[in-house]
Amino acid sequence: MPKDTELVNKNINIATKSDTMNSLIDKNNTKSVSDSETIIKVKSVIPRKRQELLKWYGWGYKDSMFKLEDGHATFTGNRYLIGGKTLPHCLQWVNENFNVDVNKTPKIPQLPDSYTKSRLPDNVRQELEKIALVSVDGLDRLIRAHGQTLKDISLLRSNSFKRIPDAVIWPESHEQVVQIVQCASRLRFVIIPFGGGTSVSGAITCPADEPRPIVVLDTSDMNSILWMDKEQLLARVQAGIVGQDLEREMRARGFTVGHEPDSYEFSTLGGWVATRASGMKKNTYGNIEELVVQTKVVTPTGVIEKSCRVPRISCGPDWEHVVMGSEGCLGVVTEVTLKIRPLPAVVRYGSLVFPDWESGFKFEREVARQRLQPSSIRLMDNEQFRFGHAVKAESSWGGVILDGLKKFYITCIKGFDPHKLCVVTLLMEGNSDQVSDREKKLNAIAALFGGIPGGAKNGEVGYTLTFVIAYIRDLALEYDIVAESFETSVPWDRALALCDNTKRRVRHECARRHIHRFLISCRLTQTYDAGCCIYFYFGFNSAGCADAVATYEEIEDAARDEILASGGSISHHHGVGKLRKKWYEQTVSSPGRRLLLAAKQALDPDNIFALGNMAFDEYTPEHVVNSKL
Amino acid sequence: MTRPWYPKKSLIKDTSCTPEEIKEIVACSTYIDSFIEAESVRSGVPKEQLMKQVREHLEEMGMDKKMHVIRWMGIVFLKISFMMRIGIFVNETAILKLKEQMGKNPIVFLPTHRSYADFCVLTYICYHYDIELPAVAAGMDFYSMAVVGQRMRETGAFFIRRTIVGAPLYAATLKQYVRTLVAKYHAPLEFFIEGTRSRSNKSLPPKYGMLSMSLMAYFAGEVSDITIVPVNFSYDRIMEQILFAYEHIGVPKPKESTGGLLKALRSLNDHFGNIYVNFGTQISLKEYLKNTNLVTNETLKPTSLQQLTPEQLSQVRDIADEVVVLQQNSAVAIITNLLAFVLMDSLMKCKALHYEELLLEVQWMMEVLRGLGASVYEKDIENSLDRILVVHHKTVALDRERRLRLLTGDLMEVSSEVSAKMKGHILKAETMMTAVPVIQLQIYINPMLHYIMSPALVYVLVKRGSTNTDKLANDYYRLRKLLKHEFFYIERTEKYILNKAIDYCKQHHVVINDEGTLRVGDANRMQFLLEWALLPFLTTLMLCLDVIIQMRRCEHKQVLKLVQERAEREGRHPYCLSLESSANCLQGLLATGAILKLKNGSDSIYEVVPAAMEKCRQLVSSVLPEINTVWGRNNPVFERRAPLTSRL
Repeated sequence: MPKDTELVNKNINIATKSDTMNSLIDKNNTKSVSDSETIIKVKSVIPRKRQELLKWYGWGYKDSMFKLEDGHATFTGNRYLIGGKTLPHCLQWVNENFNVDVNKTPKIPQLPDSYTKSRLPDNVRQELEKIALVSVDGLDRLIRAHGQTLKDISLLRSNSFKRIPDAVIWPESHEQVVQIVQCASRLRFVIIPFGGGTSVSGAITCPADEPRPIVVLDTSDMNSILWMDKEQLLARVQAGIVGQDLEREMRARGFTVGHEPDSYEFSTLGGWVATRASGMKKNTYGNIEELVVQTKVVTPTGVIEKSCRVPRISCGPDWEHVVMGSEGCLGVVTEVTLKIRPLPAVVRYGSLVFPDWESGFKFEREVARQRLQPSSIRLMDNEQFRFGHAVKAESSWGGVILDGLKKFYITCIKGFDPHKLCVVTLLMEGNSDQVSDREKKLNAIAALFGGIPGGAKNGEVGYTLTFVIAYIRDLALEYDIVAESFETSVPWDRALALCDNTKRRVRHECARRHIHRFLISCRLTQTYDAGCCIYFYFGFNSAGCADAVATYEEIEDAARDEILASGGSISHHHGVGKLRKKWYEQTVSSPGRRLLLAAKQALDPDNIFALGNMAFDEYTPEHVVNSKL
Repeated sequence: MTRPWYPKKSLIKDTSCTPEEIKEIVACSTYIDSFIEAESVRSGVPKEQLMKQVREHLEEMGMDKKMHVIRWMGIVFLKISFMMRIGIFVNETAILKLKEQMGKNPIVFLPTHRSYADFCVLTYICYHYDIELPAVAAGMDFYSMAVVGQRMRETGAFFIRRTIVGAPLYAATLKQYVRTLVAKYHAPLEFFIEGTRSRSNKSLPPKYGMLSMSLMAYFAGEVSDITIVPVNFSYDRIMEQILFAYEHIGVPKPKESTGGLLKALRSLNDHFGNIYVNFGTQISLKEYLKNTNLVTNETLKPTSLQQLTPEQLSQVRDIADEVVVLQQNSAVAIITNLLAFVLMDSLMKCKALHYEELLLEVQWMMEVLRGLGASVYEKDIENSLDRILVVHHKTVALDRERRLRLLTGDLMEVSSEVSAKMKGHILKAETMMTAVPVIQLQIYINPMLHYIMSPALVYVLVKRGSTNTDKLANDYYRLRKLLKHEFFYIERTEKYILNKAIDYCKQHHVVINDEGTLRVGDANRMQFLLEWALLPFLTTLMLCLDVIIQMRRCEHKQVLKLVQERAEREGRHPYCLSLESSANCLQGLLATGAILKLKNGSDSIYEVVPAAMEKCRQLVSSVLPEINTVWGRNNPVFERRAPLTSRL
């Protein structure tokens, strides 16, 4: 009987299709159709064949990189402020700090000509092909086998990964992800969610000893804006959208999300949620946990999502926060409701120069105490200030004179030691009154700590550096320098000591290993009521090192020990991944670790998402334990 | 007409919106904004241009309210009603009760659509009872009428296009407009759930689109409840009856225009009898859905973007179906219906009835309908009969011997202009002459048939051979499905209705239960009635079957033509010439899987599924009543209409 009814209803529709009312029903019949009415399809900058636009062996765009040629340095391409320009001060800086032979030919790797065979059984592949686009192509798999840690890149350049994924699948919708995850539970394969591949914690790196086939779920085709409510300032977005695509689409409509981690050109919304990302302009827009109103997550035991879209809720522990920062180990984030803001009328850069790190630091503390932070406020130490100077582009003679005057004023009249002074860069947003007012207040506070305005240009250069700095590592690797950054968060009272202790420890570790050419530098990138975020850069000339990557990791580990001992955290926004798992339990306590594993048991009992981040590699499915008993 | 008028609002809120504000709310809604954003990306049309289109659509559809126009229209309405000698009978208790509870939540009036008079009458009733004039969904045909369209708009009509296929932006605007009207406007909403005027005067299967749009306001939590009020109209004489009869056989309806209206006005100077307006059992949407959870994935969207989930859509469909049944249940049997039955009976018997016999027959018919569950309005039959004979003086008349006769039209050649426009087979003038009056007669039988259908099917199924309840039920359901588009029913209540029909038949000796075996009883008069009631529909079904079996594969239009041609050739019941009726049969055949539909451009092609088809044919031919009657002029009940003599 019910089947007949269905048939009848269907026929009713066919019968009167030309009619007003009925054509609407036909629309409502299939949910997807009526939903698609308001979906904004986004054309992503990044193609499915990522290698066509992006460097397969390193960071960022293919056409953008540092080059040392004919005795001077350049930055290629035209994507950044310094693109296509000669960097006159760069070589001298490189020589001073690392002493490398710049006439040597750089080591640029060749694409591998063979890849590990895919272990994906044919039947699984056929099942998956029914759901969405699948590839078992070697290069497709290789470039999705890793994130951006030093180790990842070094293994990539030498094509020596122990394990790469067996297939890549590109779902386009939440529904398809549900099907893929169900398929994985049924056919027993591992899923690694992949967004922009910018992880610096080893989180998406393939677990080397996984016996099951590994399928990378590339979210980049899930990049539509499902709806946008300009009145409530909310947008529902598929989680695979790339940061710059999201921001571009919002800006085109007069809005901004305002979440700009340094990786935002390549990283995705889902990735931000999965790692608890932090953006440069968090003071105005908030970190990801403050931006997200709602998340929809597909886990092997079902879809987890709150049933209401509310600003706050008192309903026991917030399970959305269990997913946030789960680093891909519990499921796939498919859709996110985000806050959006109208674009600010005025964006102004600024900079302040302080005689030394400590006075700069006190200034930052005071600004945080008064909660006067502009969108972004950062303090760079002297090494970084000088590095910033090194990658400054050649300027006109007028600029040279102006720089000369500035330098003269700061060093001679104000008496700042050029080897001690530090710079605060500012990014202010709002209407012009608000911005001017804020600038005035900040200058006044700066004056209390001996700081003086350093001009808007210096500020802007500082922020350009943010995106360009990631390219340095590729250049460095080509000349046997290993370099990497690591970060932490720390309470205000322990911050100064932490910076000092960590730098000393790194110097000590280098000396122990007879490394003389190195650079350790830090900056204070975020401020909160209760503390701040410190970002360290460390690099050294590895010529003469047997295993440069291992040496680097030893030193970074030592630095992290020192950070924790000084009251800092395991990570402010990079995440734990595989790199920092040994400090996980001590950070969250033993019950905390058990809770984590309990979450795994509840959401992914068969360990489909076997990425093994944090303490998840210690997870054994319960039924296995039972059978042992 | 000049009294102070403070109508009761259906929805009383802190602030109430004007029709202009409603349009503004729609244009500024998140839904329209999102739709434009997405559409602009899809089609490349600039957003400003799309927004301009939305505003144009809103101007086109949006209703208005002008008090002076309402008053003037009230006067015009009364004037015309007097001219047409119309009496309006309203279930006053129901409307006062409704008025009493108004103000808490939106109200949706869902009247049957039998005539253009429907919305005028309902609007007038609201005016009379001090109820805020409903916002009525009217077809675009009226929009294009000079002056009239604008005046309708000013009394609360809004205009919707007949088709929205291929106009997504229009569809989106309409959807949002209707929804906003329900959620934010203080007047009831009124539209016709059947979507169009029923040319056959019986319920059409409901359309779901408008209802989905209007109930959305509840599903999205914008209002606390929605009251759905089915309304039934019964007419002594539908002013469009002759046009409907012609449309049945394929002469298209004239286009609505103000000139046409003025011309029609003259023909309105006649007796049109009474209009009976009854209000059916209300549905409280909240009550109806009390066991369902309104929280779905859709609630996560912004309110105006929320859509019906598939489950909610099916609930809306159930409600729509229910509304049609409630409309049917509130239909009153009036003298016109009784007269039509009696006259058709006499046509079937080829025997004209004397006035005295007529009175007895009408009396009997009244009891039969009452017994079948209809509420019969008539009290003083003789009086009513005399009155109705005046109302229908163009179609029926007493001859010199005071026998009731059906008047045939003049034998006129179909002009080449008309025949060029004809949709189906070109019928002979001879056929049309008797067919048109019989179809007009059938139009007044149709609204009562839903009472008779089930017992009739039970009878014909038993008549072909003794059977038991289970076997009977099986074939009964199959026949019902074949006729579903002709006689709307709800699947869910079928079993109950069948049992009731069997009980009825047993009680009235139509069938006899002989220890579990059902066989034919001896209530001959009743049995004959039941049989002839089915005759036109089963015959059309049979004709369709024969044509399709013969053709094996045939275009939709071609089937209809061939059925008409065959019906004419074989001298079948004139209602078999109805294009609508054969189209309904084809739908039934599709539903049972006897034919398949293949799409070929705009026209559909049917293909026979031999096995299923054969089963259908056997079933239908086994129950097809054999009634020997003639439909030509030699049937003694027909009388040639006297040529009009000059009045002077």
